[in-house]
Amino acid sequence: MLLVLSEEHKEHLGFLTQVDSAVVGEFGRIAVEFLRKGTNPKIYEGAARKLNVSSDVIQHGVEGLTYLLTEGSKLMISEIDFQDSVLVLGFSEELNKLLLQLYLDNRKEIRSILGELAPKLPSYHSLEWRLDVQLASRSLRQQIKPAVTIKLHLDQNGDQTTKILQTDPATLLHLIQQLEQALGEMKTNHCRRIVRNIK
Amino acid sequence: MELSEYVQSGLQILADSGCFSPSAYTVLLQTAFQSLLNAQADQVALDHPVLKHIDPTVLKHCHAAAATCILEAGKHKADKSAISTCLEDCKFDRERIEQFCTEYQKNKDTLELILGSIGRCPLHLTDASWRLEYQIKTNQLHKTYRPAYLVTLNVENNDSRSHPDVSFSCTMEQLQDLVGKLKDAAKSLERASQM
Repeated sequence: MLLVLSEEHKEHLGFLTQVDSAVVGEFGRIAVEFLRKGTNPKIYEGAARKLNVSSDVIQHGVEGLTYLLTEGSKLMISEIDFQDSVLVLGFSEELNKLLLQLYLDNRKEIRSILGELAPKLPSYHSLEWRLDVQLASRSLRQQIKPAVTIKLHLDQNGDQTTKILQTDPATLLHLIQQLEQALGEMKTNHCRRIVRNIK
Repeated sequence: MELSEYVQSGLQILADSGCFSPSAYTVLLQTAFQSLLNAQADQVALDHPVLKHIDPTVLKHCHAAAATCILEAGKHKADKSAISTCLEDCKFDRERIEQFCTEYQKNKDTLELILGSIGRCPLHLTDASWRLEYQIKTNQLHKTYRPAYLVTLNVENNDSRSHPDVSFSCTMEQLQDLVGKLKDAAKSLERASQM
């Protein structure tokens, strides 16, 4: 599938033909850095002064490049499709190769950044357990009541939460059985067939 | 087994066949056990015909004394001889002691269960449910293609308030880690029980 670029977008990217490949490489690096950490307008001003153009032009160039890389990564388009999409810009052979290399080098990382934008539930981080035996309480002496105390660590949006839970031996065995069944599901023919056929 | 003055005096009245005829004693004894063990026994049958001629204040005193005695015996897991000694000190005759001990023996297990369940503890895990999904795409990222599990742990507590379940997502590796750790706990439980 091809990337469809709007006229405005093509215009922004047009600036890249007016600079040499080292600069394009630098813009690519800036684009990925902005994806990782957020934008920093001061960089635009610095580059604008060096290249003797307005900082708007620099910003559009970098944003155009960013969009090219993120859309390509999101859709996971193939090398050939990327090259064909970029052809419409009428760039030089050298520039096309440079853009393709930029795409391939950074695709994996961009995809993992995009993956973090999805809606998420708290996710499992780790689990600690402890074996306890209750010997007595205010209402009953001489007990032998085994229990397993569990500390469940969960991550949500970067925050860690902890839940303290307790269970008895019978329920523990039941839980293990249920969750082992869950694990076994991925190995069934049904799931295997689906995984094989969705590509 | 130590009983307070109030309880001892109540028991002494209960032991007196002048105040409590044998049938009245039987009814009060059974009522005392029922009021402790039966969750629905709100309106305790202290208005049984056999008990009608006894002063209500006295009835309540003796009922409370009997119930306290039963609870203390349960709390300390008292054996027959401890209970007998205690009742003897309150002037119970052989027959009434026997009756008490028989009734106690019948209800001992339920009593211990109830006493054992009183108390605070962390949220208690009762069950786990799970869902396996295969992720295909998000609006920000297409072709993600990976399996994921959504696990919900059902919890409850003594206070019968409903607690929100603990839900979380995990990958296959994380679920394997979770199950592995639970199995370690189970193995160590088994070893501890054989000591």
